[in-house]
Amino acid sequence: MNLLYAIVIGTLFGSGVLLMLKGDLFRVVAGIVLVSNAANLTLMASGLTRGQAPILPLDPGEPVADPLVQAMTLTALVIGFAVTAVLLALSLGVYRSGRSVDLDDLSEQETEEALEREATDIPPDEAVL
Amino acid sequence: MLIALPILILFPVAIALALMDGRRKPAGIIAIAALAFATAALGVLMAKVAIDGPQEVVAGGWSPDVGIRLRVDALGAIFALTTAAVLLASMAQAVAAGCASRTTPTLTVFMALGLTGLFLTGDVFSFYVFFELAMISAYGLTAGEGLAGGRFRAGFIFAVVNLIGSFLFLIAIGALYRATGTLEMIEVARRAAEINPNTAILLAVTFFVAFGVKLGLFPFHAWLPSVYLGVQPHIAAMFAGALANIGAYGLLRFGGVILPRELELGATAIIVLGGVSIVYGAIQAISRRETREVLAYSAIGHAGYVLVALGLGGPVGLTAAVVFSVANALNKTLLFLTSELRGKFMATAFLIGALSVAGVPPSAGFFGKASLFEAGIDAESIAALVLLFVGGALTFVYLFQIYQHDRWRPRAEGEYDRDNLITAGRPAQRTVGVIVALVVLVLGLWPQPLLAVADQAAAQIEQEAPR
Repeated sequence: MNLLYAIVIGTLFGSGVLLMLKGDLFRVVAGIVLVSNAANLTLMASGLTRGQAPILPLDPGEPVADPLVQAMTLTALVIGFAVTAVLLALSLGVYRSGRSVDLDDLSEQETEEALEREATDIPPDEAVL
Repeated sequence: MLIALPILILFPVAIALALMDGRRKPAGIIAIAALAFATAALGVLMAKVAIDGPQEVVAGGWSPDVGIRLRVDALGAIFALTTAAVLLASMAQAVAAGCASRTTPTLTVFMALGLTGLFLTGDVFSFYVFFELAMISAYGLTAGEGLAGGRFRAGFIFAVVNLIGSFLFLIAIGALYRATGTLEMIEVARRAAEINPNTAILLAVTFFVAFGVKLGLFPFHAWLPSVYLGVQPHIAAMFAGALANIGAYGLLRFGGVILPRELELGATAIIVLGGVSIVYGAIQAISRRETREVLAYSAIGHAGYVLVALGLGGPVGLTAAVVFSVANALNKTLLFLTSELRGKFMATAFLIGALSVAGVPPSAGFFGKASLFEAGIDAESIAALVLLFVGGALTFVYLFQIYQHDRWRPRAEGEYDRDNLITAGRPAQRTVGVIVALVVLVLGLWPQPLLAVADQAAAQIEQEAPR
């Protein structure tokens, strides 16, 4: 079971990182979602114990599965959802202001804007420095 | 009860503010009132902790093993108080300048709630939850109060880089739980001594990377300048003065209290990284002309000092880390709040901030630097002393360079003011700047309380750490 968990978490994390390195905002968001789920699974894996469900009344004498990790994972999942929503909203903002989700296009625009501004800037008076 | 008070005030106010239009005055005034109340409550709490020692409360009267535990010692109290005060000053200036977005007051109060909770919690997982609350508010603030052009881009980079840090932190918490079987900080610290050394090193490195990202240390700093430059100065003040405290506090809490042996083991690497941060930040800052960009790189450099203090270690080093973090938070707030305002009062306030960062008495920054030197002497590390001296000298150069550049000569219209930020400021904005400058001066003239609390915090860390 541990091995299975390790393989799944590793694959998820690796795919997430791979997606994050792509030049497209939505892929980056998808990558974050995968990494977030890899982290959630790691939390689950940190308390993998066999035993009866931790619901009262408990059968005395039999071991009880660890309920704490499930509570933690649930919380982390909710936070993950919220974060994904925020990220998607930010991507929408980027798209609206730049009309593109391609990171290369966006950085090209940024360079152009910077050059434009530099052309209008008055050079600093070096003599005073 | 006193511990829960700031959280109980901030939470309902934040929710209520979410329903109001933050661009109107009433919402901003409610936010200021709530933050002022929280700051006052944290001040009382600070005094109580300084006199009676650590305070603890378990929510809902549950048994301490089960319930949600709030626990505050000198370290948490001083960070919470500083952070709340910084957010109060920044919020006051945001309201005085006119909030650009309807979400600014609510997100600021949510950020204060997250940060306060994080400094006051006694549970590792609650720490993560509060930490995310503060971070998500920060992403929202970047998008809402960002400057035209790059605000969403800055927000996106900020969010993605910091989320990777957050998930690493979450994974490290899972691993810590696996290794110790508990989430309660004191118990974790007690059991951490028995963790397998290899596991402990992996844990320590993961925590270090997670907090390094928040603090904006050298190899993890890439997000910081674009974010600080892409938002209004009062939001940058919140980030540099309040949000960055997560990194310093986290390193002290998780490095100093929970994994001190691994901290000692990695001391050389930590000092080297801190040194690189100091020199890199300072050199980058010297090469910039735009005030806020200089300050952003200065923040990277100053994160390095915290790291050096932590690496030097021992009670003196830990005290230095606390004193420096507090002084640095106030300095950065003052500099960002006054960076774009003109007039003789604002120039004086900025100059006080610059002198404080450079470490000239009487200012809070002097005691930050002095305690760092003391730590270097105590550890008999000549390299650290040279580094501190060089770092200080470079700080002097870049701050007076921008002071001279900004205020000693007539400025051509529009020069290096792309976002039209430079104004004389409204009277309320100037008042806030003067008050923060006075706080920095008063702490420099009467540093005993700060030094005593920092000593107490360091002693507490030493006592709780497993030996």
